[in-house]
Amino acid sequence: MLFCYVALLPIVALFFYVRIIPIGFSFLLSFYKWNLISPRRPFVGWDNYLELLEDENFILALKNTTLYSFSTVLLATAIALPLAVFLSRKSRLSPFYQTIYFLPVITPMVPVAIAWKWIYDYNYGILNYGLSLVGLPSVAWLTDPSIALWALVIMGVWKVLGYNMVLFLVGIRNIPAEYLEAASIDGATDWQRFWRISFPLLRPILLYVIVTSTINAFNVFTQVYVMTLGSQSAPGQAVRMLVFDIYTNGFQFFRMGYASAEAVILTLIVLGLTVIQFSLARDDSAKGT
Amino acid sequence: MNHSIGRRGALQLAAGAGIATLGGRKAKAADVTLSIWTGYPELVKWYEAVGAEYTKAKGTKITILSTSLREHEQKLAAAVPTGTGPDVFDVGQILGITFIEAGLIKANPAAVDAHLKGGAYRKSSVEQFTTEGKTHGLPMLFSTPAMFWNRTMFKEAGLDGPPKTFQEKMAAAKKLTKFDATGKMIRSGMSLRLSGQGSGIAEKFRFILEPAGGTLIVPNGKGKFHQGYDNEAGRNALKYYVDAVQTDKVDDPKVQHDAAAFVAGNTAMLMREAWVIGEIKEKNPTLDYGVAPIPAWGSGPHKTLLQHNGLWVNGKSKNLDAAYDFQLFLSTKEASVKLTQMSGWVAARSDVDWSPLLKDIPQYKEFVAPTQGVQFYPEPVMAAWNEIETRLADRLPNAYIDPGMLDPAKLAAFIKAAAAQTDQILKQNDLYGA
Repeated sequence: MLFCYVALLPIVALFFYVRIIPIGFSFLLSFYKWNLISPRRPFVGWDNYLELLEDENFILALKNTTLYSFSTVLLATAIALPLAVFLSRKSRLSPFYQTIYFLPVITPMVPVAIAWKWIYDYNYGILNYGLSLVGLPSVAWLTDPSIALWALVIMGVWKVLGYNMVLFLVGIRNIPAEYLEAASIDGATDWQRFWRISFPLLRPILLYVIVTSTINAFNVFTQVYVMTLGSQSAPGQAVRMLVFDIYTNGFQFFRMGYASAEAVILTLIVLGLTVIQFSLARDDSAKGT
Repeated sequence: MNHSIGRRGALQLAAGAGIATLGGRKAKAADVTLSIWTGYPELVKWYEAVGAEYTKAKGTKITILSTSLREHEQKLAAAVPTGTGPDVFDVGQILGITFIEAGLIKANPAAVDAHLKGGAYRKSSVEQFTTEGKTHGLPMLFSTPAMFWNRTMFKEAGLDGPPKTFQEKMAAAKKLTKFDATGKMIRSGMSLRLSGQGSGIAEKFRFILEPAGGTLIVPNGKGKFHQGYDNEAGRNALKYYVDAVQTDKVDDPKVQHDAAAFVAGNTAMLMREAWVIGEIKEKNPTLDYGVAPIPAWGSGPHKTLLQHNGLWVNGKSKNLDAAYDFQLFLSTKEASVKLTQMSGWVAARSDVDWSPLLKDIPQYKEFVAPTQGVQFYPEPVMAAWNEIETRLADRLPNAYIDPGMLDPAKLAAFIKAAAAQTDQILKQNDLYGA
């Protein structure tokens, strides 16, 4: 047992060095006013947090990020699950479709975001070309402030769908076949087999998918940065997200203490949501037993 | 004999020592490698060319790292204070002043100071690079916007030449804008910055605000500032944008914008800097265009923004002497001409003979020798400037397309709120003074 702990020490030390210390440092920094460059770093107490409460950019970013996260997680989960059920059936084409759906997951975000920027282009984008073929008017996917956020949601769902689907697929394939066979013998329909047997057994996977997707969604940044870059892009305020706001305050305005305060709040939000999700799952499993 | 031998010996010794010293210097210079960081990828070829000449002359090796401007600024902010930055770097004055205030860029040594003050640069350039009576860094780029106009489109529309006032510009733009059969704009009369994010949106807003008589911040004469656009000029500038998009419909956020639009022939007029000439030369060399001063507001003067990009020596460089020497080498007349020829940006030196360049590309005239009477409004050199512009820029795109802005009261309320935020940022940075 002692050997196990000793063997784990290097990786724990590394984790501490690259994760825990920076988080702790950010927390400390949130009580200071510092521009990253100056050696002066006056202590300002809770001032950064108090200022955040009145910062309309922060409030807007919080609202947008919450809307983006809940929409993306909900849609990406709700679409991935039936897709996984469908693709779990034995078919020669199933591996091909799994690969197709998984491709966006392994494609780096920057080229993907640039490609979507072209797809969404009002004049030359393939999406509006598709709409024109069925007689629908062009949509200003990026430049219309009321639509831009939803354009990001669509892209976000597309990016994580394959990942969620593969996780569900693994879960479905691990459900013992005899459970489903027994239900079939008892006369259960496909829907009843899914709802009464597969779905309850998939709950741990569902929890994992929701937790990881929520954390990832709250940390959305790259696509926002790319989609708002340049003159032919989304209005910054329409898609302002928390990490983007942290980046702006930290690395454009060099307000590191203020940006750290924002980062601490983001961490607390994600931590809080994760705890809620875990406790809900625990309640459910307790009821189940 | 002894004396003679002694003298010869002494001479031989001196010669030997001289050769040894030179050899030693040569060897030392050859051992030195200067690292240069730039936020302008289009300057890399120029750095390489001048760097190669410098290596040939002095033996010092040069390495160049280029990233996008934003990444460059972030890298500098993290690397310079920790002593891991480059020896020489280029960056705008807003970040430059932050380094100066933190003591990370030292006052120029005598040779660099004398070069800057020796008449090679405009007075405004010298003033911009002087902080508390001491010069820091050297001006590298002298950046002013002017108005690009498409001659072919103007001829087609029956227009004689470029508009002289913003009012004439709007009238011309109406004739130059094109729509398809469905009413969709396919060519804008003028290309304004209407969408995206970042300080550039507010910077372009100033292209109209300043000629209209306003300004983002006004110095109070005691080292403090307050907003200068919650007034008729501010409201006029915003109304101009709103009219262009909503009333006169000469621009639309949905159509192609900026240099790409002008180069592709998708807009008739664009207010931008000299680098667009390089873009046109590379991507659409047959484009028939002219460059005129930024229009005046009514009978007011022609005004244009003046921005400098500086060439700085990192105060923590381990090769300070070599770095200052290379900084001067990059700032010679020959290097300045080469800079403009190779990158499209205008070099900051004012004593350069531009005639060969103008013979080749006459459109450069408005940038290298602006029309007499054009007034420059410099970018304030303060660390909070980026936040002031960016925060205003956050608000503007929505206002441009908001139908509510057609109501003068709502438009005035918008300007009032934006200006209050500017004052608030000044207060937070202890820079506010009524």
